[in-house]
Amino acid sequence: MTPQPPRLAVRLLAWRLPDAWREFVLGDLEEEFLLRAGRSEPDARRWFWRQTLRSIARPPATRTASVPHPSGDPFMRTVLSDVRHALRVFVRTPSYAVAVAAVLALGIGANTAIFSIVNAVLLRPLPFEQPDRMARLFHIPPQTTFPGMATFSLSPANFLDWQRDSRSFEAMAAYSFRQLTLTSGSAEALRVAVVGPDFFRVVRTQAALGRTFLPEEYDPARAKVLVVSDGFWRSHMGAAPDAAGRTLTFDGETYTVVGVMPKQFSVTAWGATMVPMWAPLAWTDKERAVRENHNYQAIARLKDGVDLGRAKSELDVISKRLEQAYPSENAGWGGTAIPLQELIVGDVRGSLVMLLAAVALVLLIACANVGNLILARAMNRRKEIAIRAALGAGRRRVFQHLLIESLVLACAGGAAGVLLAKVAINAGTAMLSNQIPRADEASIDARVLLFVLGASLLTGVLAGIVPALRAGRTDLNDTLKEGGRSDSAGAGSVTRRALIVAEVALSLMLLMGAGVMLRSLHALRTVDAGFNPSNILKLDVNTPDARYPDPARKSAFYASLLDRLRALPGVQGAGWVDTLPVTGGGSVQPLVIEGSAERKPSEQPTVAVRVASEQYLQTMQIPILRGRDFERSDGDAMLVSASAAKLLWGSTDPIGRRATLPLISRTNAVPVLGIVGDVKEALAEKAPPTVYLHPRELPFGDVSIALRTSADPSTVSKAAVTAVHDLDPQIAVQGVHTMSDVIEEQLIAERFRTLLLEVFAAAALVLASVGIYSVLSYLVRGRRREIGIRTALGARTADVVRLVVVEGLKPALLGIAIGIAGALAAASLLETLVFGVKAWDPLTLSVVAGGLLIVSIAASLLPAWRAARLDPLTVLREN
Amino acid sequence: MWFKSRSGAPVLGDFEQLVLFGVLRLGEDAYGAAIRQEIHARSGRDVSINAVYTTLDRLEDKGLLRSWIGEPTAQRGGRRRKGYTLTPSGTAALRQAYHALRSMADGLEGRLNPR
Repeated sequence: MTPQPPRLAVRLLAWRLPDAWREFVLGDLEEEFLLRAGRSEPDARRWFWRQTLRSIARPPATRTASVPHPSGDPFMRTVLSDVRHALRVFVRTPSYAVAVAAVLALGIGANTAIFSIVNAVLLRPLPFEQPDRMARLFHIPPQTTFPGMATFSLSPANFLDWQRDSRSFEAMAAYSFRQLTLTSGSAEALRVAVVGPDFFRVVRTQAALGRTFLPEEYDPARAKVLVVSDGFWRSHMGAAPDAAGRTLTFDGETYTVVGVMPKQFSVTAWGATMVPMWAPLAWTDKERAVRENHNYQAIARLKDGVDLGRAKSELDVISKRLEQAYPSENAGWGGTAIPLQELIVGDVRGSLVMLLAAVALVLLIACANVGNLILARAMNRRKEIAIRAALGAGRRRVFQHLLIESLVLACAGGAAGVLLAKVAINAGTAMLSNQIPRADEASIDARVLLFVLGASLLTGVLAGIVPALRAGRTDLNDTLKEGGRSDSAGAGSVTRRALIVAEVALSLMLLMGAGVMLRSLHALRTVDAGFNPSNILKLDVNTPDARYPDPARKSAFYASLLDRLRALPGVQGAGWVDTLPVTGGGSVQPLVIEGSAERKPSEQPTVAVRVASEQYLQTMQIPILRGRDFERSDGDAMLVSASAAKLLWGSTDPIGRRATLPLISRTNAVPVLGIVGDVKEALAEKAPPTVYLHPRELPFGDVSIALRTSADPSTVSKAAVTAVHDLDPQIAVQGVHTMSDVIEEQLIAERFRTLLLEVFAAAALVLASVGIYSVLSYLVRGRRREIGIRTALGARTADVVRLVVVEGLKPALLGIAIGIAGALAAASLLETLVFGVKAWDPLTLSVVAGGLLIVSIAASLLPAWRAARLDPLTVLREN
Repeated sequence: MWFKSRSGAPVLGDFEQLVLFGVLRLGEDAYGAAIRQEIHARSGRDVSINAVYTTLDRLEDKGLLRSWIGEPTAQRGGRRRKGYTLTPSGTAALRQAYHALRSMADGLEGRLNPR
């Protein structure tokens, strides 16, 4: 095939070349291109592009010199001519244009990046049909037993009754999660969503390949079928088109894959869709009858025309009926529905709105700075503007002209900002995807582009309007009479000072926000969680029921695993627990102390229950306040945290007394061996009353193992994993992390917020100090004569410096005062986001205000020093 | 806006001279791309095709060049070619420029080529 010149280049040329030559120039270029392509095509293409760019950069003068007859709307014509003029001016003075566009690009780019996250998280609908009709169903637990807990999982029997009795929902499905270990190949533990019969009706999504589950597959005997995610299909099944029908082995059992879900179904923000596979939820009759153990989630789709309020009150009525029918299990348990979207983004809305507000402030400061630059330029061009006015340009025309200049710059800044935002999004979303739901979906779509356009236009107007208004008011006579001087004292100086006030005030608000967040983060990092997280390695291990069917086998496995781990060099202690602190989750159960009758569930006190091995507390360095730690030979035994002891036994000494956990066994009264320190479940929350249970035999398979090491914990991770596999190579080991990393992971959202606020505040500070510096330089230039006379009359350097610095400090102080008021007013935005510090923390406020004052002085010093160095003779001779 | 010399032939700019020499040298094959390549090969100046056409256009305007349009060819993507030839006044202007340069340079060759 003959090589073709770059099509885009040909198009550009065809568009730009005068009609008279187009054909010949294009012909010539193509001919030479072919010749060159014979030697090297890439070289030829480069050459063609170079020729094109050079031809476009300097468009040839057309033969006709006469001005074409004006056509079209006269307003649009002047706008276009202003745009052209602005472009020409910027090409002539590129440094000015680049500086302004760069400042705006940073401002708009930061705004775009944040907005694209807001767009993905808050504005873009979930990828289901009519996602706003989807709601999750919850119990409302009795507040006496679960104080502060707004929602609770469902029990199977209650769910089935809700499903049978409610009329507000089109479909309703229970689901939960389990772990399966893939044993064909190397052991890999996978999370599976086990979903009830109507699940795929509620989400209204079909399999992309194969099918979802048949009604008969919800029978326990036939439930060994799976639907897999697009990701799993690609990573584990080679994206095979005949994947449906294949089998996989989990925990030694064979499962048939019946379908593959479409890619967009894998919404990472919702547990039920982020999993690699789905299995049918097949309850046995015994399981269907469980009413007091709440272990299932539920999702439902509202019927058309039914609003959420009606559905909620219906659940309320049904719950009341169930309370009367089953008082011993259901007393105090209500029901509610919460929109899925609300649940997914509810927690982060405040934080995103705060960031959007902060980044908007940065853009405002950038606008003030750019406005200042434009004003300085307009003042330098007073002669030009005056001449335009003298030639008949009305005030409106001059105003329009300057405003369009700033709009052109803002649009250039906006375009560059989109590119910056793209880079920032690519860098940031990977970090955020675990912490901010749906942040991984952030991208630049039509809505974001619309936002950029809006932001650019607004920025252009904001930055340009003050200078444009000022310049339009220029007095023609005065300006022309001023002679050669292009600026004079006082011209626009009030406006300039106002810009300083605004910049300082906005910067103070941002610095305050960043300062408070920083203190909050520090408080979270140094909070005493009740255990010592340094030098702890954790790993999650699961013994599947299929291969460890009875509790004794499980207990034996973990006992010998702990022995092996404790024998590893560098390991000082090892223990296991069902749920480690700060990792989220964990069981909460009612507890009945011996000697008191079991009360109604709604009145029964509840505690966090952790099933733990001997030496677990010692490994975590959770202090044993009284009594003793478990020993392996103990059988069923219990340790209670200080707050649990107080809650359950009051002033009585619990050691040696017994208690039952009715959800595990009503008959087994377990002795209390000691009292231990309180441990936080979440860094920012109070430690819940906790009971540690040492079981004679382990009733479940998955535990987390904690190892205390003498050196860096990550050095023993390999040996620890090997120790597990030496015992049983088919056991999957997951979540191998240091405990410090786990805690930092919990703080990602806080760290991200703080980092962004710091960046914004730093940008604001730089912009504000540059603003102060440039305004003062300008004012000093206007007062050269006055300063020269003062110096001639004996003013010393210090006097002149003081004069200028005070000049700069006045607006800065006003700005600080306004900024403090603004920061106090905006404190409510931060209130819910900070921990251990007030959003209007006086210490931070004074440090920030003081710092800003110092920066203002520093920014004024250079112009002041320059003013003091003015030679009076030269200055006076100038005039 | 150009100046008349004493002899009546228009004064040529430096690049105009190169273009006219190119046209003269190429004879019947004088068209945009060939002129550009000739200038590049001989003077080392790699100019854009656009600059060549701008100048050709101006010279034609001044009456120093005449143009003709050829047949479309496949190598040119089916486009036609525009060829140029000197008019008598073009030849005169070029001769004048050449003589002016030669007489100005007379006796200076040694100093322009330092040993």
